[in-house]
Amino acid sequence: MHPDLDQQRSLARRLREMPDEAAQPYDWSEFQRRSGTRTRPGPGLAGARALAAATVLALGVVAVWTRLGGWSPTPPRPASVAAARLAPEATQPLAAHTAAMEHWLASLPSEPAVVHVGTRAAVTGLEDRIAQVDDLLSAARLDQAQPARLLALQQARTRLVGALVQVRYAETLADESR
Amino acid sequence: MKKFYLNPSWLIVGIAAGATAAAACLAAPAPAPPPVPPATVRPDRDADLDAQLEAARKRLEQAAHDVARLSSQLSGTVIDRVMPFVEAGHAIIGVQLEPAVGAAGARVREVSPGGPAAEAGIHVGDLIVAVNGTELKDEEPARQVVRIMRDVKPDAKVSVRVSRDGKTRDFTVTARPGPSVLASVRDLPDLGFGTFPEFQGAFLFHGPLMDMELATLTPRLGSYFGSEQGVLVVRAPPDGAVKLEDGDVILAIDGRQPTSGSHATRILSSYQPGEKFTLRIIRQHKTLEVDATLPENMGRIHKDTMWRDGSPHERSEPTRRVLIL
Repeated sequence: MHPDLDQQRSLARRLREMPDEAAQPYDWSEFQRRSGTRTRPGPGLAGARALAAATVLALGVVAVWTRLGGWSPTPPRPASVAAARLAPEATQPLAAHTAAMEHWLASLPSEPAVVHVGTRAAVTGLEDRIAQVDDLLSAARLDQAQPARLLALQQARTRLVGALVQVRYAETLADESR
Repeated sequence: MKKFYLNPSWLIVGIAAGATAAAACLAAPAPAPPPVPPATVRPDRDADLDAQLEAARKRLEQAAHDVARLSSQLSGTVIDRVMPFVEAGHAIIGVQLEPAVGAAGARVREVSPGGPAAEAGIHVGDLIVAVNGTELKDEEPARQVVRIMRDVKPDAKVSVRVSRDGKTRDFTVTARPGPSVLASVRDLPDLGFGTFPEFQGAFLFHGPLMDMELATLTPRLGSYFGSEQGVLVVRAPPDGAVKLEDGDVILAIDGRQPTSGSHATRILSSYQPGEKFTLRIIRQHKTLEVDATLPENMGRIHKDTMWRDGSPHERSEPTRRVLIL
């Protein structure tokens, strides 16, 4: 007889001769349950993933902050310290973000060599608005306004400074393309 | 009639000659077309690119203007909600103040970017010890500064003495207008929430003035144009608006002497569309006085941005207050 055929028969015979105990010990639903148990992360793994996500997020924030010139040898400003007294969880990131933006603004010349009046009017309008909000913030602190009010004003200031950064960036781009 | 017959031998010769010529054409490199002088092609293309670039720049500048205007309006909404009753009409120097711990004076907590104090050189952390010659010895020095500033007019020079790193320094700060009452709000029937700071004239700028270009006179430029001070008009507004021409030097606007392009922009921004003013200029080495009017009815109306969320005005009929860009 051909040896291959003999081998196949022999293998089939061996399979048929296997005892019942070697069969699958659980059915399909049990397999799914066990499979689900295996893929579901345990509490420790979930925590690790959250930590990793937070780390990635923090790295992103640091990268953006660094891009804006946030890393500076100058010591932390008193504003950040004082703001922290108000509402640490809300004002600290706000103050750091604003400080980074103001750092970039301070690195620019006060105005381009040739001033385009339309864009400059936008810049001066924002600068004056920020000065007005600063004046209001001083008054609010002197009158011991509620922290929520101070925070709202501080957020408005941060938005204005952000807008000023955008407008000055646009002004710089337009100036360089002339 | 004489008949012509095609001789087959001629046909063969013709085909052979054509094939030879075609082969020669294919084998030999095609003769290069005569070089086109750049002067005949590039100007059109460059002009097109220039036009596209100019259009893109205009879009960029318009977007920047919109960002500034909308951000300013948004801050007005917040201020309205948070501090509805603002003391109007006083001048400001662009600082946030707080009490100093263990020292007499008001500590500078924040300096407004591009503000008067920043331009003068005042820093965060400086301790203001005197304003306009008055030493800050009250129990609340920061409040004393606010009281002193109530008597200061916009554009006035304010002398500020600060202590920095144990040394005393003097600065001269040019005050700017602070928050003021928006005139049109007074005309509304419902004034339930009081007054709020008005939007500055910078965002009312529109039309031909948007395209004007200015340069601060340097000593060399000044000697060329015959003036030690003023602002040079690099590009005048089109269509003869405000009667300026390229090369003019603006010495004064209604008596206010601009010290930079930004300052001239601020002064012009303080006028409403249609308002008249007098320019003192140098034109071709001659000093002239020119009566001008800020152009009006040149822009589009932004009614959608006039009303603020949650304010009683949303329920009111629109008033004559419009923003024209």
